[in-house]
Amino acid sequence: MSKTIIQSAAVKSKQDTRLVEALNLVLADSYALMSLTHLAHWNVEGPGFFSLHKAFEDQYEDLFEAVDEIAERIRALEHYAIGGLTKLARTAGMEEFTSPQSQKDYVASLIVAHEKVIDDAARARDLSGEFEDPETQDLMIKRIQSHQKTVWMLKSFLRS
Amino acid sequence: MASSVQSCPPAKLAADCSATSCRGGCALEVIDELLARTDSVRGEDADLLLDLRSWIRRREDAEAVLRTFCELRRRLEHREYLAFFRLRRWLENHLIAEVRVCPAAEPRPVPVRLQYFCLEAIRRASLCSALGSGEPLLAPRVQFVYRTQPSSDEPSISSRSVSAVG
Repeated sequence: MSKTIIQSAAVKSKQDTRLVEALNLVLADSYALMSLTHLAHWNVEGPGFFSLHKAFEDQYEDLFEAVDEIAERIRALEHYAIGGLTKLARTAGMEEFTSPQSQKDYVASLIVAHEKVIDDAARARDLSGEFEDPETQDLMIKRIQSHQKTVWMLKSFLRS
Repeated sequence: MASSVQSCPPAKLAADCSATSCRGGCALEVIDELLARTDSVRGEDADLLLDLRSWIRRREDAEAVLRTFCELRRRLEHREYLAFFRLRRWLENHLIAEVRVCPAAEPRPVPVRLQYFCLEAIRRASLCSALGSGEPLLAPRVQFVYRTQPSSDEPSISSRSVSAVG
């Protein structure tokens, strides 16, 4: 049954590439965000170092799993995932912040980046509905939930 | 002189909020969100936010925009850090400092970096950035203007500006 649904979604996405393009954008966003989070993990410093260092580690590990899931979903739809640092960065078009900066600026920069992923994932989620592809839609909903939770945590830090 | 020039903060273009990704009205949206927070923004803060909104909407008086932003930042950033981070990024990508080494010289565009809470400090940082070549300043002037194309790699010069002597 699920194979039939995947084949059905794959056939639709062969005719109309909007969904796969949207998924590739979320893939690029997630990869770029993972890189930025890793950068923040390495370079953050100050009184909140240990908590932020660990939080950023948890976040980039979650993103590492996410990019694999998204890329494999694109392959399940019988398309190819984009890759390569230049291509991913160009596609994502995300701010690449410089170090050093304040702890709060690291956190605020990451919030802005997460918000971009949420926006792009929401578009992919809506297209999945249009394409009658509940598995892709479920994946995007999970990603949105994960990013929203991270944004909540990061915003809570800014209120400290 | 040379050593003091080298100690100045380097000018860098903020890569975020680029012309392709930035929605033109995002600064206005941030200000509107701040104005809606009646628990943390009221009275004179709201008046200053309305002034800031008006200038940005009409792309007028970049000098006043920065002065008002600095004042609001001192008053509110401790409660509204993310909103001021967004405004800071927006301003860095939509404003530019024009530095003249003397009144008759061609203006030299320098990225605006809002790492300070005071307009005069930002003006001096812009001067320091322009001094990167070690050129002596005879009667320097810095004026803040809007970029014609936000956050391009080669900053261009807008016709709308308010001059100020540095």
